[in-house]
Amino acid sequence: MKLRTKFNLALTIVFVMLAAVITAATISYIESNTIREAEERVRTYTRAAWEIHNSKVVGITSAAELLTHMQTVRELLEDPNNEQLFTADSAELESIRAGLNVDILNLLAPDGTVVLRTRSPYNRGDSLTGDPMVKQVIMTMEGSAGDVLLDRERLYLEGPDLLEQCLDIAQEPTGMLAGAAVPVMDDGRLIGIVQMGSLLNGDIEIVDRIRDAVFENEFYDGKPVGTATIFLDDLRISTNVRYDQGQRALGTRVSREVAEHVLEKGLAWTGRAFVVDTWYLSQYDPIQDPDGNIIGMLYVGELEEKYLDLRTRTVALYLSIIMAGMVLALVIFLFVSRGMLGAIHELSEATKRISNGELNHRVPVRGKDEVGRLSASFNGMAEQLEAQHREIEQRRAELELLNDQLRAVNRNYMEMLGFVTHELKNPLASAMMSLYTVKDRYLGDLNAAQARSLESVAQSLDYFQDMIRSYLDLSRLEKGELDVHKVQFALQERVVQPTCAGLERELQEREMSVRNRIPEDLVLNGDPNLLRVVYDNLLSNAVRYGREGGDIVLGARERADKVVLTVRNDGEGIPPEKMAMLFKKFSRLNGPEHAGKRGTGLGLYICREIVEKHGGEMWAESQVGEWAEFALTIPE
Amino acid sequence: MSKGTHVLVIDDDVQLVDSVKTLLESVGYEVSFAYQAEKGVALAKETKPDLILLDIMFAGPPGPDGTEISRRLHEDPTLTDIPVIVLSGVKKALDMPVKLAPDDAYMPVEAFVEKPFKPKELLAEIEKVLGSGG
Repeated sequence: MKLRTKFNLALTIVFVMLAAVITAATISYIESNTIREAEERVRTYTRAAWEIHNSKVVGITSAAELLTHMQTVRELLEDPNNEQLFTADSAELESIRAGLNVDILNLLAPDGTVVLRTRSPYNRGDSLTGDPMVKQVIMTMEGSAGDVLLDRERLYLEGPDLLEQCLDIAQEPTGMLAGAAVPVMDDGRLIGIVQMGSLLNGDIEIVDRIRDAVFENEFYDGKPVGTATIFLDDLRISTNVRYDQGQRALGTRVSREVAEHVLEKGLAWTGRAFVVDTWYLSQYDPIQDPDGNIIGMLYVGELEEKYLDLRTRTVALYLSIIMAGMVLALVIFLFVSRGMLGAIHELSEATKRISNGELNHRVPVRGKDEVGRLSASFNGMAEQLEAQHREIEQRRAELELLNDQLRAVNRNYMEMLGFVTHELKNPLASAMMSLYTVKDRYLGDLNAAQARSLESVAQSLDYFQDMIRSYLDLSRLEKGELDVHKVQFALQERVVQPTCAGLERELQEREMSVRNRIPEDLVLNGDPNLLRVVYDNLLSNAVRYGREGGDIVLGARERADKVVLTVRNDGEGIPPEKMAMLFKKFSRLNGPEHAGKRGTGLGLYICREIVEKHGGEMWAESQVGEWAEFALTIPE
Repeated sequence: MSKGTHVLVIDDDVQLVDSVKTLLESVGYEVSFAYQAEKGVALAKETKPDLILLDIMFAGPPGPDGTEISRRLHEDPTLTDIPVIVLSGVKKALDMPVKLAPDDAYMPVEAFVEKPFKPKELLAEIEKVLGSGG
């Protein structure tokens, strides 16, 4: 995997993980925040609902207090049995009650006995001391306001139509009255009680006012956003929660869970509530009568759906902001990393190109960070490398030039050597002729001293002749003139036998014999003139270094793709430490055993050069004190 | 070896000619000689020797060398039967097939003897040529 891919992958993984964590954190934050906020709002709405409820109670209380100051009320309470007065007041108070739009307006005697009901059929004479509100006024002689329950009997007394109303609304023969009872005082003496109140059963005024004031009668997706309900115990007696058909959901009951929490434990309940057919974020507050008994609940709820959607939108908004930020950051990161990785890629490419010999290649240096510095030092390194390379090239050219010069010098030298040597041939030829003519007694007998003396000169001339041959060969070799002209030829006839014939005199002198074991019909592919030089040298050496009276053995073995030729003598042999020197230019075997056996030191070098030019090899083997053998191969 | 066999030596090396003459006369040959190539050819026409010993390279002013002389001798019908032995220090001529060399180095000669040589070698070669050709 490429570095860039790895880097981008790692970066993307980090970003995705980061995005996941931030998303989870955001959702959880918004969730808890939304819920907390919603609960807070529901609490606020509930407080507002209580205010609306209380304002109604306060209104009734005020009205009742005003009535305590009315002459008619006071007169009637002073004289409850005055029928005439009763009839007149009853009619007037009934019209006041109707005007105030309350359900109940009763005048009671200080002991709680009903003096006057302003509602048909105007029952009276019963005692209302069981009414917590009335009881409280009698006990404290102060007004009491709030909600109280009216049982079936009481409702019936107050007016059969009210009982009817309650039963109609929720099949519940109990009413919840919001109202007040205030004392009528005269000089610090309780002369009676005015009780006024409205049945909450079926009274939509409070709940709708809550809905309108708090929620502005807003609808969401066809459902009201805010709902309010008054419960009598766990029963909906006043609500703007509606069924699907649009009918108010009166007479239905609250869930068991809420009922337990609020009605039994007397605690407010806040949370999600499934109201009739949909979820509301709700609060249920207990409603208590003046005695502290829990008689019902006030409920305010806000449609959860709206919140859920709001939350969803909020989450979506947050997430899209976060994602956009992330993507932007990722893009910036990738852009920055691309520059960085691009530089590394360039460095890697440049390394490849430089190692391929493109020494003048450089990388662009971007910025002053680590990568920039790396690029700069890379260029520095390449610069140095190039400089060194230039220097080496220059040195090489110089050396080449020097080499050429040396070659030219050597060639000139060799040419001169060749020329001089060749020029020496003519004087040598006449000297040799003259000397040998005398020595070989063509011109008459010699005495012993003359013969010894001439023999000595002859040996010198022989050596002189060897030298001339060798130096001419060397000169040709070094000048590169020694070309191999390969032909098929018979080794015996063309090379070995003429060479042996040429050495006949030397062989006789040393009483040595040649055992020629080379097959008569052996045909080689090579240059017979050059191989003649090889055999001349090898045989001369064998005669020179072989044992007096010994044998020289010439052998030939045919191998798969070559012929191995050997020349063996049974002389002193070659010490191992001399083996390596044997084929070197100007090397001679020095040592007492070779005293007086002068060689040119070129013969074996020339032999090996010739053999190698044929594509063959040459080497020597020896058993010191017993024999020495020179071997060479000529490819087929 | 027949007494009175006539050998002509054509070579510019005075000392060599002298030593060869001394040797050959000591074994009974008649020897005449020329130090210049042209003169050698003239002498050959004049005396009709039994054998010619011929050098290849001649010092002095430009003129025909041994190769050229050998061809002239061969092309002259009166001289073409006289065997020629080349005496030379030029090694490359050594292995030319006698009278068959097809190129520039073509030398219609009987034998080569490389300088320097020894009396025995020269005498052996002369006897071989005279014995087979003459």
